[in-house]
Amino acid sequence: MEVFSDFQCPACKSLYDATNRQLMDNYVNTGKVYLIHRDFPLPMHAHSRVAAQYSRAAAQIGKLEAVEEVLFQNQDKWEASGDVDGTVAKVLSPAEMTKVRALVKSGAVDASIAKDQALGNNTYRVSQTPTTIFHANGQTYPYAGVMSWDILKQFLDQLLGGK
Amino acid sequence: MMQSSPLNFRRAVIWLGRLILGPVFIYAGYSKAFLPNSHFWPWFFLKFSLSTNIANFAFQVDAFKLLPPWGVQFVAHTLPFTEIVLGFLVLIGWQLRIFGTMLAAIMVGFSVVVTRAYLLHMNINCGCFATPQPINMEKVMEDAAMAVLAVLMAVFAMIEARKPHPWSAPSAAAPATMPATK
Repeated sequence: MEVFSDFQCPACKSLYDATNRQLMDNYVNTGKVYLIHRDFPLPMHAHSRVAAQYSRAAAQIGKLEAVEEVLFQNQDKWEASGDVDGTVAKVLSPAEMTKVRALVKSGAVDASIAKDQALGNNTYRVSQTPTTIFHANGQTYPYAGVMSWDILKQFLDQLLGGK
Repeated sequence: MMQSSPLNFRRAVIWLGRLILGPVFIYAGYSKAFLPNSHFWPWFFLKFSLSTNIANFAFQVDAFKLLPPWGVQFVAHTLPFTEIVLGFLVLIGWQLRIFGTMLAAIMVGFSVVVTRAYLLHMNINCGCFATPQPINMEKVMEDAAMAVLAVLMAVFAMIEARKPHPWSAPSAAAPATMPATK
């Protein structure tokens, strides 16, 4: 599963809240599903690019999950204040924050975000977030929007059962 | 001699309403339920596609901050299919007084809700069709115009239903048009 997501998008937060924990516990950690987070910051969201930079930098030091969670859980706060740095600092140690800030400032993560956006725009024609691309049995199925855990679980079980 | 049906203003409005609002409602319902996710085979794909499209629509309904969660789910699961059925019935003109009135009521409801969202400066998607549409003055005017057309169509349908059909047999009190032969 590739999930094209924007940290400032309310629908992305809804999808994350509804499905992420169970998906990780029941399918990703058990090796049934390979989950890829793709950053797709939308132009109408003023702080989503910065949030993507921080999450990508956190991923490089192995802290993506924690940062992803704190960004989504506090979306309404940093959306209003623009304080992505302060939000991320809640879950990282000072040493980790130093590394993350250095990565963001150097622009080292920008290329990978641009690559995700190019993939979304050119290959999958992503027009909204969240968009989930399911790859199964040699086929690709793009799905736009939110989905409930129950329905997603049924769908995954069917896809996995089709092997 | 049989008279052809006169096209008066009321009938013109009724036809206009049926031809514009019918297809608009059919497309609106179809796009909510069957777009943008349109993988429909095999069966579990149809189920997943419908569910995600309806979940998307529920998200848009919830953004208006008008209904409790159960209300949001009720609207999301029923409105698309209601729109399709009503649109079809209005388009073919069957029982227009009843279904035209229902359509008009829904259309007035849409107009009120969209106008409210505009006045509250809510930066949300209209949720009218599959493609995202911002709520701006253009959208407000568009919905208001369709609401007016829907109401006029329903009212005129009621008025026309009370009048004798121009092709029905003349009443006994009406004078004969042909002179009696000797």
